Amino acid sequence: MNTFNHHVSQPIALSDDAARMKQTLLKDIKRSAYVYRVDCGGCNGCEIEIFSAITPVFDAERFGIKVVASPRHADILLFTGAVTRAMRVPALRAYASAPDPKICISYGACGVGGGIFHDLYCVWGGSDTIVPIDVWIPGCPPTPAATIHGFAVALGLLDQKLKGVEHVQGADEKPALILPDIPLTLRVAVEREARRMAGYRQGGDISHRFLTLLQHQDVGAVEAWLKQEHDPRLSEIVHRLSAVVAGEVVA
Amino acid sequence: MLKLFKTILKAGEPTVKYPFKPLEVCPGFRGKPELDPQQCIACGACTMACPANALTMETHPESNERIWQLFIGRCIFCGRCEEVCPTRAIRLSEDFELAVTNKADLYVNAVFRLQHCVACQQPFTPEKSVRYAVELLRQSGMSDEALEGMAAQFSTCPACKRKQAISCHEKRTLSFAVVEKRHEHL
Repeated sequence: MNTFNHHVSQPIALSDDAARMKQTLLKDIKRSAYVYRVDCGGCNGCEIEIFSAITPVFDAERFGIKVVASPRHADILLFTGAVTRAMRVPALRAYASAPDPKICISYGACGVGGGIFHDLYCVWGGSDTIVPIDVWIPGCPPTPAATIHGFAVALGLLDQKLKGVEHVQGADEKPALILPDIPLTLRVAVEREARRMAGYRQGGDISHRFLTLLQHQDVGAVEAWLKQEHDPRLSEIVHRLSAVVAGEVVA
Repeated sequence: MLKLFKTILKAGEPTVKYPFKPLEVCPGFRGKPELDPQQCIACGACTMACPANALTMETHPESNERIWQLFIGRCIFCGRCEEVCPTRAIRLSEDFELAVTNKADLYVNAVFRLQHCVACQQPFTPEKSVRYAVELLRQSGMSDEALEGMAAQFSTCPACKRKQAISCHEKRTLSFAVVEKRHEHL
């Protein structure tokens, strides 16, 4: 990128005083936290999930987290959206209007890494390209529970659960075969038929479960599974798969 | 007043106890994608399917490695990777607590070795995908002796195979014009 002399956006740098004050806010706030959400060009999915996080079911207000209508009241700024060209300056204005110290949270897949819009021409690709971010909450959109967990991490109530993973291939790593006792052609035929009938993801799951039961030569278990699920669509599909196994139907 | 209390009592408490008690998610919930690096053959099907480019793969022949990377921050939890994985190595878990204070923790990396061609010594595919193909052939009924006999073929790159095929059949005429001329003579 540098070879073409392209501009790379840098986030606003904090002064030392603001950074020090922010640390006390992050560790021990000792009061309610007011949240202002800044839309930097999102699809509104994140906003809907933020509002469902303050409904009675999830009730973020029991922790003193309140969504406010002005950045001048805010302790926490929630940046949603992938930062489009048009919404960058309004987002920076909202940031400048909030009093120091303020916690900045990058919310949703678009806010964290640009999401599916990360390489568009008019997109900055993540709110950490314009403001200093303290907490990242991924998800598309994050569920209300994930939102509450993110607030708890931001306010130092909970520790983050996720750790970066680095795996290096071992000396004798060998991938195990899926369903080794089922002939390969049969597995492919059943999987194809299941995916044709139930869609790709569900079809794969149904055929895997069905063949796992067959592998243990457990015909009663298939019936028990169908009875337990009590779903006519599933019964139809599984009966069709049984026909494929019996060789009555060519998938 | 009493009636109101009765109504409230009947309604119960709708608020979930979430941060204090684990939340039960509905079946089919799509959370954090988990890679089982033992199962992964580094074929790259998931990186082709990923609509958000959260899954990426880089091949470095000079250091003999292929690096698979998942950036959870960009993941949209669509489950396409799970659909296309031929070895069921990547599955979507029910884990949704993904907030981090350090962005580096959002990355999952896995490094795989490459298979070198016996003829030209150049890497051409991940080592594990060759092993998996051999296992699949064995499962479809190929005998161990036959597989052993084909060991050289499994570790030869397509370009070298093509070259060897041509040099083996050197005597056969490949040009159309020559064949046609021969027909005319007959």
